[in-house]
Amino acid sequence: MWIERKALVAEIPAAAALDTRQLCELLAALGFPVDGVASREGTDVLDVDITANRGDAMSHRGMAREVAAKLQQPLAPLDPSPLAEGEAKVPVRLESPGCPLYATALLSLGKGTTPPEAQAFLRALESTPKCLPAVDASNELLHRYGHPTHAFDADRIRGAVSVRWAKAGETLVTLDGMTRTLTAQDLVIADEAGPIALAGVMGGDGTKVTEATRRVLLESAWFDPKTVRATARRHSLHTDASHRFGRGADPAMAAVARDLLVERLQAWAGATLEGAWTAGSLPAPVAPVLLPEGLLLRVAGEPLTLAEAAKVLGRLGCGVDVRPEALAVQPPTWRYDLAIPDDLAEEVLRLRGYEHIPSVLPALEGPPRPLAAGYLQRQALARRLAHLGFLQTVTYGFISPEADAAFAVPGNRPEGRTLANPLGQEYSVMRGTLLSSLRAIAEQNLRQGVREIRLFEVAPTYASGPQGPSERFTLGLVWGGTLGGEDYLSPARPVREADLSGIARDLGLASPPEVRSLGEGLFGLELPVSDLPLAGARIIPAFRPFSRFPAVERDLSLLVDLGQSYEALASAMRAVLPVEALQDLRCVDVFRHKSLPEGCQAWLMRLRFQADRTLVGTEVDAWMAAALTAAEGLGARLRA
Amino acid sequence: MDHLLPAEILEADRAFPEALAACGDLDALLRLKGAYVGREGSHAARLMDLLKAAPKEQKRDLGAAINGLKQQWEEGLKARQADLEVAKKHLNALASNWDPSLPPPVPAHGALHPLNRLMDRLVEVFRPLGFHVEEGPEVETEAHNFDGLNIPEDHPAKASSDTFYLAAHPKLLLRTHTSPVQVRTLLRVAPDLARLGGIRFLAPGRVYRKDEIDPTHSPMFHQVEGMLVGHGIGMQHLKGTLEYALRALFGPHTEIRLRPSYFPFVEPGCEVDVSCPLCDAKGCRVCKGSGWVEILGAGLLHPNVLRYAGIDPEEWSGWAFGMGVERMAMMLSQTPDLRLFFENDQRFLKVMGGLD
Repeated sequence: MWIERKALVAEIPAAAALDTRQLCELLAALGFPVDGVASREGTDVLDVDITANRGDAMSHRGMAREVAAKLQQPLAPLDPSPLAEGEAKVPVRLESPGCPLYATALLSLGKGTTPPEAQAFLRALESTPKCLPAVDASNELLHRYGHPTHAFDADRIRGAVSVRWAKAGETLVTLDGMTRTLTAQDLVIADEAGPIALAGVMGGDGTKVTEATRRVLLESAWFDPKTVRATARRHSLHTDASHRFGRGADPAMAAVARDLLVERLQAWAGATLEGAWTAGSLPAPVAPVLLPEGLLLRVAGEPLTLAEAAKVLGRLGCGVDVRPEALAVQPPTWRYDLAIPDDLAEEVLRLRGYEHIPSVLPALEGPPRPLAAGYLQRQALARRLAHLGFLQTVTYGFISPEADAAFAVPGNRPEGRTLANPLGQEYSVMRGTLLSSLRAIAEQNLRQGVREIRLFEVAPTYASGPQGPSERFTLGLVWGGTLGGEDYLSPARPVREADLSGIARDLGLASPPEVRSLGEGLFGLELPVSDLPLAGARIIPAFRPFSRFPAVERDLSLLVDLGQSYEALASAMRAVLPVEALQDLRCVDVFRHKSLPEGCQAWLMRLRFQADRTLVGTEVDAWMAAALTAAEGLGARLRA
Repeated sequence: MDHLLPAEILEADRAFPEALAACGDLDALLRLKGAYVGREGSHAARLMDLLKAAPKEQKRDLGAAINGLKQQWEEGLKARQADLEVAKKHLNALASNWDPSLPPPVPAHGALHPLNRLMDRLVEVFRPLGFHVEEGPEVETEAHNFDGLNIPEDHPAKASSDTFYLAAHPKLLLRTHTSPVQVRTLLRVAPDLARLGGIRFLAPGRVYRKDEIDPTHSPMFHQVEGMLVGHGIGMQHLKGTLEYALRALFGPHTEIRLRPSYFPFVEPGCEVDVSCPLCDAKGCRVCKGSGWVEILGAGLLHPNVLRYAGIDPEEWSGWAFGMGVERMAMMLSQTPDLRLFFENDQRFLKVMGGLD
């Protein structure tokens, strides 16, 4: 909200001693940070950030109250001579509890327009003067004192005025020219022909003040905040008035604002008052709030006396009754936010200044808890992958239905994971897979000319269920492009599926994972993090003895059919070898070449033996012969 | 005596020094040696034939001349050979030398995402104070995301213009902050709170708000929530903890500043500023010359939040804070555009991520 320095100082003269920077610091320390300062109409204008609970501060007077309380200096008096009220010139009926109080007046307009200083004030606040005194004065009062008022063209009102719930389906053309279809939850001001204003939100077009207006009927009421908020939201109509009524206006200001408006119309437009009257009465004040001494001391963290607290609250306009061990506090009519003892404790601290709060580390009352195994597992996993050269990505949890369908498990219906109000189709489904997001990132990087893609993400994926989507942490990996070739020792080669299998094995996955082809030379892998082993509970695993006798390594070059399963062959060979001596058996080279018999490939098998004794050449020869025989049983031959 | 020697030999002798100098390696020298002093077909062999055929009275003089020539050639060859051997040795030594300035093979360089790295760091900072990590789902109930946090029924944040809802489950939404983890955790530990001696935890995670994607907005971002519940907890404990943590994060000279603010789930509420870590509070572009940057929102738990979880606010009290991870990451790194964190360009990830 814009606060014009000059107008603020008019309300709290002591603030004149502060320069603009000091004023900004003071407001920030009170909980009203200043987002910026502009210079307009020859004065500084402050863009003050006002939190949603402080409707009372949304005016120059409201801000001045805060400054006055902090500086312990008086506000300028606000004392329009109260109008003598008479009988109602136009009957006003309050038919809903949403409006307990409605002050009004009827005036005939004379000649004159909005004075230049009022126009400048409005312009400084980025509001355009209409040069219709009734409109500009209402607007000026709103910014200066925070109470919204409205002026109707009295000659366009038919019969009595009532504040009532709208009838469902009734329509009203509001000042912005829009036709609003009303519901039974909308509070309206109506004449005998129908609604003439959305109460507390916006006036009607049919009764608006124009240059032709000769008589005005004023409205300065109090409307229920909840009702106003609901109507403003229902019609997407957020106005200066709805903001203030929606956050709670001061009912005691209704009559004062009416009187101020009358004064201005008399001064600016030579208006003649035909009558002023009020329907309804002030809503009953809320019950006093008790502030126990113990609560105050706990929140403040330092010895504060109730007497000190009472003084501070008194400066904020509270009625305070000091009792033994507690204060009974009657908040002022403008402070809706002071509802519980904690609110009052905050006010005491706020006015004293948060800089006085001491700094204390809270003592542990119980033993600290360890980090959860699942959390630690994901931390370790991410670190391991980063050490293996993978870059961690962070991508959105929602993707397009097409991207989801490309990799999500068939049973995982997207309907159960679809957003009702997505930013767009491409962000509409809570993803069942990470691979689509990773593929998109990989492709984008490849377009940037990256030689090698090596990415991972650890994030939830979603599965539809009757109670809503369930989520589990998933690991997604993509690897592609060219490996090596970046220095004088490492040869370049394309990334292969087996590279990803190797990573899965490194991460402790027992069985070979499903490696997906994501495009030319790009491979992906996805698995639930829970499929990976947790770190063991033992700090160090149990000791397993190992042999200190020399190991024997032998190679066996086999010709095998192209369709031969490696795992089957290796198992067959292992089956005939002594468990206690066989340390390792693996294929260390696959050779496919036209020089080999057609339909054949050569596998170089490397076997490693070691036992709790020195192995003899002949026994190893016998094992190798047995292994060969086993391989031959599956159609393999010794390569000449 | 030269008259005794044939003209071509004299010519060869004249050319010898130049030929010797032209031998760039031992092979060339060997060929030259063969041509001058080899056993067959060389100049020396021809001279020996000449000597054999020479008249007796000339043999003595001719012999002396021939020997002189041969000796001269052999010495020249020997000296040149020694030179060439030294040169070769030197080359061999160079060839086997390793030039450490050649780019060596370097293990692949991976990295944690900068946002995760920052969240990990925050957890590390709070661990010594006894905070552990709590987590919760991203798809949440309205009750956990709003109601349990004292957020009024008609709060604008609940509108479909601000919060994503699920089409098939109208009461489910994408959490708009990590605060529902507070609600879940309090509900879970409430029956046990006395035995546990209160609770203190961090809740890092991803959250969603319906913001269009632009340089400062993203529909998904990260928060780290912190919460502590104990006996007699006041603003001094919030300040003490945050002062410790922010000094651990930004350095021991860091100052913090609390300013009053408002969030429905805390009372009193505050914004916390930290002395600008980029300019040591001298004033820079990041802190807009003020020396302070806003870093998080916090406050004492609203009694309604404790009550919702079945915890008696007369006995227990606590504080909570929430901080935006992207905002802090952008501030610290001066990354100009929020979208870079979700674009995942490998160049960005390599430079901004890394491993601690």
